[in-house]
Amino acid sequence: MSERVDANVLSERTSQRELKPRPRLRRYLLPFSLVLPIILYEGLLIVYPIAQGIYGSFTRIELASKNPPLWVGWANYERMFSDPAFWKVIRTTLLFTGLVIVVALTIGLLTALLFNRPFRFRPLARGMLMMPWAIPEVPVVMIFIWMLSPQFGVVNILARMLPGVTQNPQWLQVPELAMGWMVLISSWKAFPFYSLVILAALQAIPQELYEAARVDGASRLQLFWNVTFPGIGSTLELLVVLAAIFSFKQFTIIFLMTGGGPSGTTETIVIRIFNTAFRFYDYSYATALGVAGFVVSLAVAFVFILMQARRAQESA
Amino acid sequence: MATTGIDTRAPAHKLSPRRLLNRTALYLTIAIVSFITVFPVYWMMISTFQPSKYIMHFPPPLLPQELSFYQFAELFTEHPVARWLRNSFLIAAMTMLLCMALSVLGAYALSSLRWPGRNLFGLFLLVTQMLPEILILIPLYIIYRRLNMLNSIPSLALIDAAFILPICIWILKGVFDTVPPEVLDASVVDGCTELAALWRIVLPLSAPGLSAVAVVAFFFAWNEYLYAGIMLSSGEFMPASVGLSTLKAIAQTPVEQYMAAGLVFSVLPVAFYLAMQRYIVSGLTAGAVKG
Repeated sequence: MSERVDANVLSERTSQRELKPRPRLRRYLLPFSLVLPIILYEGLLIVYPIAQGIYGSFTRIELASKNPPLWVGWANYERMFSDPAFWKVIRTTLLFTGLVIVVALTIGLLTALLFNRPFRFRPLARGMLMMPWAIPEVPVVMIFIWMLSPQFGVVNILARMLPGVTQNPQWLQVPELAMGWMVLISSWKAFPFYSLVILAALQAIPQELYEAARVDGASRLQLFWNVTFPGIGSTLELLVVLAAIFSFKQFTIIFLMTGGGPSGTTETIVIRIFNTAFRFYDYSYATALGVAGFVVSLAVAFVFILMQARRAQESA
Repeated sequence: MATTGIDTRAPAHKLSPRRLLNRTALYLTIAIVSFITVFPVYWMMISTFQPSKYIMHFPPPLLPQELSFYQFAELFTEHPVARWLRNSFLIAAMTMLLCMALSVLGAYALSSLRWPGRNLFGLFLLVTQMLPEILILIPLYIIYRRLNMLNSIPSLALIDAAFILPICIWILKGVFDTVPPEVLDASVVDGCTELAALWRIVLPLSAPGLSAVAVVAFFFAWNEYLYAGIMLSSGEFMPASVGLSTLKAIAQTPVEQYMAAGLVFSVLPVAFYLAMQRYIVSGLTAGAVKG
């Protein structure tokens, strides 16, 4: 390694004397040669499959046959748009994503405000708060399957305290309850992350602003609306988009707990794509659904990027 | 407990009744919030360490009645958990090495060098990181099938690394950004090339960032379920995330073993994620928010 470095240094010096443009070229090319392996790698494993998927959505894919896939034009898309099940999946996805954004961000904001106040054992309490975020999804599913067991689940203790509940509910068999639990579990898993990010934004608000406002006789509520909220507003906006992306991607928890059921009421688009491909072996239709999902997530990612660019401009 | 904490801290003359009430309310709220947040994890531990005669009972006791440790031995003898964990470890280690090597290059180009296309490259990474994994699963599955790359641990590590690499690059870029530019300029004036500056100056200063990248890449692959379940369908290569999901509580696997499996699987990621949380959060928000 060091020999090569010395050689580089040497060549640069001699060339400076001879005024050759080569090292300049080398310096110019360096960033490109650094990122080339990454672009090739991501291109091969992410971009190329996406292109293949877009192409595949216009064909009929027969995995077993050796023939090239049959071109069917827009047939898969026509089927998708005229399929009532597709629109049901879209509604379920919007409902799930919207609820998780609201629930997870509200809990994240409230806990951030709470944990921003000085108190004893704060580092310990903050560490505990991050626990749901740190624990992997498969064990999360295992814990909740056990906690929601109609026979022995500990959650039933709470349910039985409600008036009129004399039996342990079938938590994941009733559509509304199943959706509610999917939202709650996903939010429980996600909120510590939002809480931590909001906490960082809260601590970036200059203390002088609060002191000045207090001198002016502002009440607690006024402090929140006029100092705290503007201070974390742009972070919250960004987190809404990020939460949309994360909850739209949510697969493991729903798949392992309900598989989309009961009778499709928790079947979001990512679950639908999986079921179409690997349960019904309808790969072509699944790729068309995948392209629809791709368009949506690209649009949301684009919003995120625009917001970031605006933030960067503001801070510059 | 919360109120005694205040008494010892604040001198008695400062505690007006109103202040005492406020403090008590604050501590009570914090205690309740922390309790609800941690309860599922607590319940996993309770269900692991108690003999099943206590937990297979409704209503179950909320405090442990008796501790036992036999369930771990039973879990490892009755299920191929050791092999699952070994597979997970191999996938995770390969993913980690790939990501560390590639993210150093990308982060350096993104952080310390000025070149046309830099923003476009950053954008490219941001978009790839935001796409749902399932969208790529089907075409990639078909490609892998055709190339006979299914049921192979290195093939899965290749995919895992492709998904987590953008985040690793963002994390490392954030760390590289903290190296003062004067140090870099000085080294270049001294006749150091940019690559030598990366190797001799930036990397040694970025050890914590590199370990954060290692943690993120390793445990992304360790936790990953969707691709592992599809690409490694044969039992021989099954990693722990997929293996665990095949266990059925009560019906087939006693609850204390079921929960012990979840606990064994979670210990490492929880410990390392908590230790590295600042870096990981900054990477996940693509540096938009300083964690």
